[in-house]
Amino acid sequence: MNIIKIDNVCKNYKTKKALDKVSLSIKQGELFGLLGVNGAGKTTLIKILCGLTRKTSGTITINDFNLDKEIDKIKEIIDISPQETSVANNLTVKENLEFFANIYNYNDANTINEIVDIFNLNEVLNQRAKTLSGGYKRRLSIAIALISKPKILFLDEPTLGLDVFARRELWNIIKKLQKNITIILTSHYLEEIENLCDRVAILSNGKLLKTGTIEEIKQITNTQNFEDAFIKLVEAKNE
Amino acid sequence: MNKVINFYKRNLKEILRDPIIYIFCLGFPIAMFFLFYIINKFSSGHTPTFEILSLLPGIIVFSYSFVMLTLAIIVSKDKQTFFLKRLYSSPMKSYHFILGYFLVGLFIGLLQTLVCVITGFIISLISNIGFVSIGNILLLIITQLPILITNIFLGILFGTIFNDKSAPGICSVFISLAGILGGCWMPIETMGGFETFCRFLPFYPSVYIGRIITNSKNALGITYSFNNVAGLGLITISLFMISSIILTIIAFKNNIVSDK
Repeated sequence: MNIIKIDNVCKNYKTKKALDKVSLSIKQGELFGLLGVNGAGKTTLIKILCGLTRKTSGTITINDFNLDKEIDKIKEIIDISPQETSVANNLTVKENLEFFANIYNYNDANTINEIVDIFNLNEVLNQRAKTLSGGYKRRLSIAIALISKPKILFLDEPTLGLDVFARRELWNIIKKLQKNITIILTSHYLEEIENLCDRVAILSNGKLLKTGTIEEIKQITNTQNFEDAFIKLVEAKNE
Repeated sequence: MNKVINFYKRNLKEILRDPIIYIFCLGFPIAMFFLFYIINKFSSGHTPTFEILSLLPGIIVFSYSFVMLTLAIIVSKDKQTFFLKRLYSSPMKSYHFILGYFLVGLFIGLLQTLVCVITGFIISLISNIGFVSIGNILLLIITQLPILITNIFLGILFGTIFNDKSAPGICSVFISLAGILGGCWMPIETMGGFETFCRFLPFYPSVYIGRIITNSKNALGITYSFNNVAGLGLITISLFMISSIILTIIAFKNNIVSDK
């Protein structure tokens, strides 16, 4: 079953087309990757799906709710961990989790403890967010997004700025989450997409170049590895 | 209402854990009271504007502009760090945000008023002069609510429109305006046309009405009483308050779903 249907979506800024007739579907329970170089339109698409930015045209349905008419219902079932860690800096880790849990009326000790365990946040539970390392801040940001028990989770560049160990640790957490929810992940790290995603969409200059599994994309482009496939697709579009 | 209270609690914690509030919102008004008390003492009490009954409404009105600054800082930072955008994708509505910020501004403003009244009372004891009755203190707080509300909404508005670098700058202009055009420590009533101009801004009429309640005398030695300045002032203050509320709601709603 397709939980997200994007049909012919355009987003025009004054001087630039950020998204140009993008159409794709995402299945329930899938870990779907949006891949592209900087300015490809990944974050714009995520912002539109979360109701943060208006699209210029096209239709989007999320869990059978129309984005234009039923955004309030959509907001009940989605959550986002933005590129910026976006936590309340003067609040402790625990207070941050409680604050976001209260918004969704999920503030029971079990939910919070469960999330704390998944993300190994116990040792920094009473530490203010502004004093956390980049890795812990990123973990907190994703933990916050999960506190609402969303059906769909958007992870915008979840490992941006993290060292290799923190990145691997976060990958393991994301893989565990995948079993229960639909995750849409944006990244410009190819190995991240390759390691985590069931299917990917490759964007370049606002256009959707290809959608499929990593293997399918390698086959289509007749390449041995995913990096070559990606470069071949983007270069072909630019020529 | 739960979402409003939840957001209010977060804002309060966020603000109370930032030292800036203690410096600007509490320390600065107290320091001003004692500074003007000393100036007045050394000028042998020849400066009526610096008398405690005259000074109390002036510093209360002036200190509210720091509530504006505090709110502008927190709103613009929340915007800048993407914290607000993240919340926009949650089921929270614009009125939850606005009320959450408003309530914290109201709390700080009332706390400031209390600090000003206590400081004023201490100075009146030191100077051995009578102070304002409890009934009139309550009346003073109520009559100063519109200028407090105006400052709160202007703070939210500036934080919504400007970034965390420019919002404090814009607020500092308003802080200066409140001090100078409010007649907090300047005998505006002796300045002819300038006084007339000040009547059309919310600061001077607020201070004026406060001074009627504290039963203080102006620089000309005349006791403040309800007249045209206060009557027209009520209209001016109301217009500024309503405009600041409407503009804030429009700006905030616009900010939730943007074209950017």
